[in-house]
This record gives sequence, structure tokens and C-alpha cells, in this order.
Amino acid sequence: MAIPAIQIKDLVKTYDKDVALRGVDISIREGQFFGLLGPNGAGKTTTINILTGLVRKDSGTTEIFGRDTIRDFRYTRSQIGISAQEISLDWFFSVERLLSFQAGYYGISKKRAQPRIELLLKKLGLVEKRKAKLRQLSGGMKRRYQLAKALIHDPNILILDEPTAGVDVELRHELWEYLGQMHKEGKTILLTTHYIEEAELLCDKVAIIDKGKIITEGSPEELTRQLGKAGITIQLSGWKEEINTLLNEFHYTHSNGRLHFTVRDPEEDMPRIIKILSQEGCHIQHVDTEKSSLEDVFLNLTGKGIDETGEK
Amino acid sequence: MNWIGFFTLIRREVGRFFAVYRQTVIPGLISTTLYILVFGFTLQQRISEIAGVPYTLFILPGLIMMNTLTNASANTSSSMLQMKLLQQLPDILTAPLSSFEISLAYIIGGTVRGTVNGILVMILGWVIIDMPIQSPFMTVGFIILVSWTFSAMGLFLGQLADTWDQLAMMQNFFLTPLSFLGGIFYSIHMLPEWAQNISFFNPIYHMINGLRFTILGVSDSAPSTSFIMAFIMTLIFTAMSIALMHSGKKIKL
Repeated sequence: MAIPAIQIKDLVKTYDKDVALRGVDISIREGQFFGLLGPNGAGKTTTINILTGLVRKDSGTTEIFGRDTIRDFRYTRSQIGISAQEISLDWFFSVERLLSFQAGYYGISKKRAQPRIELLLKKLGLVEKRKAKLRQLSGGMKRRYQLAKALIHDPNILILDEPTAGVDVELRHELWEYLGQMHKEGKTILLTTHYIEEAELLCDKVAIIDKGKIITEGSPEELTRQLGKAGITIQLSGWKEEINTLLNEFHYTHSNGRLHFTVRDPEEDMPRIIKILSQEGCHIQHVDTEKSSLEDVFLNLTGKGIDETGEK
Repeated sequence: MNWIGFFTLIRREVGRFFAVYRQTVIPGLISTTLYILVFGFTLQQRISEIAGVPYTLFILPGLIMMNTLTNASANTSSSMLQMKLLQQLPDILTAPLSSFEISLAYIIGGTVRGTVNGILVMILGWVIIDMPIQSPFMTVGFIILVSWTFSAMGLFLGQLADTWDQLAMMQNFFLTPLSFLGGIFYSIHMLPEWAQNISFFNPIYHMINGLRFTILGVSDSAPSTSFIMAFIMTLIFTAMSIALMHSGKKIKL
């Protein structure tokens, strides 16, 4: 079995008396786009900060390609590029010089770093801002700079902590496209987000974290199928009371010939419902489906929406 | 050892203070010129000589030392606090750099600033009042040693500090008073005996005394004691700042 790109086992962290992580287990295979989804304060940032050496763990193990992140920190950190949630500021140096410094910290000489800097400035639309200071950049530009910084040493693993927090819709879509490209190029990506759409669109595996514990994981499709609640609405031209008995295996409501079903998997359930109704001679006027989302999964598992639970 | 990372961090630290030389280099030269003009030329009419040295000349080693140690400590302490407050520190802490490499790079950055400032003030003294230098190599060596000591101390305090106010407190309540009471403007022999005894416990007194010996060839107490004191302080502060960085206290959660 291949060694996972990221392996976290039984990770525990307490800040003073607040338990931030209560035994987190995550395994991410090489090349996977993995989403860590959860509300603010769930433990997402703490998990990745332990992985990258910014926070000290209480117990548990964290490994990158099978090597311990503390004992083999030089190797593990050189494999990771991080785009932090908090945007760093600098009063003294230009974007280009800061990227050159960042490459240097990873052991890349100024000369070797220059072509990579040029490439990233171009790819991320920062060429015209190369001589600008960070404080002169717009919020969106700062996000792009964060990404360029994370990619400067061409890491195998990209860790992105809420990379699109606070950016406008246009830039969010641009960043998504760019991240998709990175994924296609074979990078392993760990993304923390509380944007459901982001996780659904980009990730091939998602773990939902709440109150410092992973509560479920799987592909977005698997999770929504197993734990989500999709809807099917059918408008009939007439209503027969006996249909109630035939449909009693489903969870539904009825009003004026309009049936609303709450189902796990509409693709599986809809043909069965339509078959029953057709056999009873019901005339179906209109059918509508609502797709289940990870938001439903989260709601189902925690009893609350993802944006309702801002902790401390 | 990540040599490229190490030298990059030094380059950043040195580049940082040169980028704002109006704040980090020029003020020391202006204040020293003012000290020479105001204190030196006015008081020289009252105090013609101390230990056979003209008064203006006598105060110069103290002024060099004050510039050296305040700049060395300010570089590391302010850079560290600034990096914490501006969220820059994670860039370094998540890179493949050890605590030893990070600490040493910071200390060297501060040492360069302390040394540059000390030497510029020394050149200023040489230009304005034709200051003779008895032992140029020992003088520069001692300036570098003291810069290292206070740079390491600054790094230690910068890691502990959470606000600019705390750093200003260190500068205003400790460094400046200890510098002034360390015999910049007077010989400790001019003090009553109890005050002389207290001065002997002031580490900055030894820094000034040692430098005065290397420049002017005169000292209030044995220069060897001052050199040993500077060396011991260097070891202690270097070890303390590296140990604190390694522990991650106040910089890692």
C-alpha cells in the first residue's frame, strides 16, 4: 500500500483548558484534493498548524510521506507549501523580493528562484505588481501573493487554509480554476474551508470536522448520498387516498396534489416513486428535484448549519 | 544546516534596517553630533580632562557604545515583534529552518546593525574631534562582541514581548538608564564609593569601560574584567535566546 502524503493519527491539542482537537485522524493519499470542512473554531487551522510546525501538539502523530513532522522537519516542511488564512504584511520589501526570500528559506538560491518567481508572477497576474509593497496590494492581489508564496518551492503538498475567505466571486472562481490546475498537475492539496460549494466543487475527498473531531469522511458524492437529504417534488393532476399506503416507505408531505419527498438519493428513488404513481394511473404534471449538498450532510450530523457555530 | 535559508534570513534582517536607514542609522549620528556639541563643548570648559583625556574625547567611547547596543537590541527585538504582529513569523517557522539557524540569523542581523552604527559613530568622532584610536582591531572586535550580546538580548525580549509598549519599556526603563549610569559622561571615580560599587554591577558600565580602553587606552577598572563580562553575557544571552526559540514559547501556541 502506498505511503499516504499526509497521515494524522489521534491528534490532540488543548489551549489552556479549551480542547481544540480530540483525537483527529486523517489520511490523504498522494495526488488527492482533500477538503477539511467545518465551522469556525472546529479545529481546522489547529490541525494544519500542527502539521506545519506552528502549533505544538499534546499527543498523536503527524507524518508527511511517512516521515514525522517534528523529527524530520526539514524534509516534511520542504514538501509543503502553505497559504495561511491570515494574510501576512510587510512594510519593507517588494513582492518580488519577498518571493525571493521565501524561496531562500527553502534552500533555493536567488538565481535558481528567479525563473520560478517569473512564472508565478505571470500565472497569478502579479507581474505589474512585482515592485509593489504588500500594503499597496488589494485584498485579492494579497491572496494571489499568498498562493505564489506557497508555490515558490514547487512543493508536492499544498495546504490552503480558507484560501478564498473574503475574496470577491470573480477571484474566487479564478482561484478555484487555478487550484484545479494544480490538482491536475499532481499536487496533493489539503484545503480547509467553510464554503460548502468550494469543497463540493474541488475536493475528491472531504472530512467534516466539528468540535475538534472528524465526524465523517468520504467523497462529496458518497457523503451526500449517505447522509444528505435531497428533495423530489411531484405535481399530480389528481389525488387518490390509496396512494398514501403505496408510498408509505417514503418520507413525504402532500398538499393539493403536490407531493414533496425527502430522500437520500433522488436518482435511485425517483424512478420508483414515478413507477408507483404511474401504476396507480396518476397523471404527473411536473417533476422537480433538489440536489443534496454537504450542507445537508453537516446539518444532518450536527443538527446545525455550518455558519451557525462560530466558537470562541 | 540549511545554509541558503540561513543566509537569506540574514540578508532579510540586514536589508530590513538598511531599507529604513533614516530610522536606523542616521538618528544615531545626529544624536552623537548633538551630544558632542552640547555636552562636550560646553562641559569641556568646566571639566577639562578626565584621566588625562579631554572631556569631549572621554565621552565618545560611551556614545559609540550606547549607539551600538541600542541599535543591536532594537534590531532583533523590533524585527521579531513586528514579524509576530504582521503575521510574517509563520513564513519562517514553517520553512525548513531550525530554531538554531533562525536565532543565529536574527542575532547576526542585529550584530551587523549594532556594528555599522558603532563604527559610523566612531568615524564621526574621528572626523569631528580627530579622535585617536589606540587599538583599531580590538575596538572593532569589541564593538562586534557587544553588538552580538545585545542583539541576542533583543531577540530574547522580542520573543517575549506582545506589544510595542513592552519593548519601549525595556528601552526606556532599562537600557537608557543603565547606559547613562554606566559612565558615558563621567568616570565612576567621580562618584561616591557606594555608587562606584553599584556601577560595577551595571553590565553596560563594563561595555563602555572596555571600549574606552581599546580606543583611548584608559579605563576606570581592569579592562580584562570588562572583556570577560562581555564574553559571559554574550554566551548567556545567546543561549537564552536560542533556548527560547527552540521551546517555541510565545511564538508557537
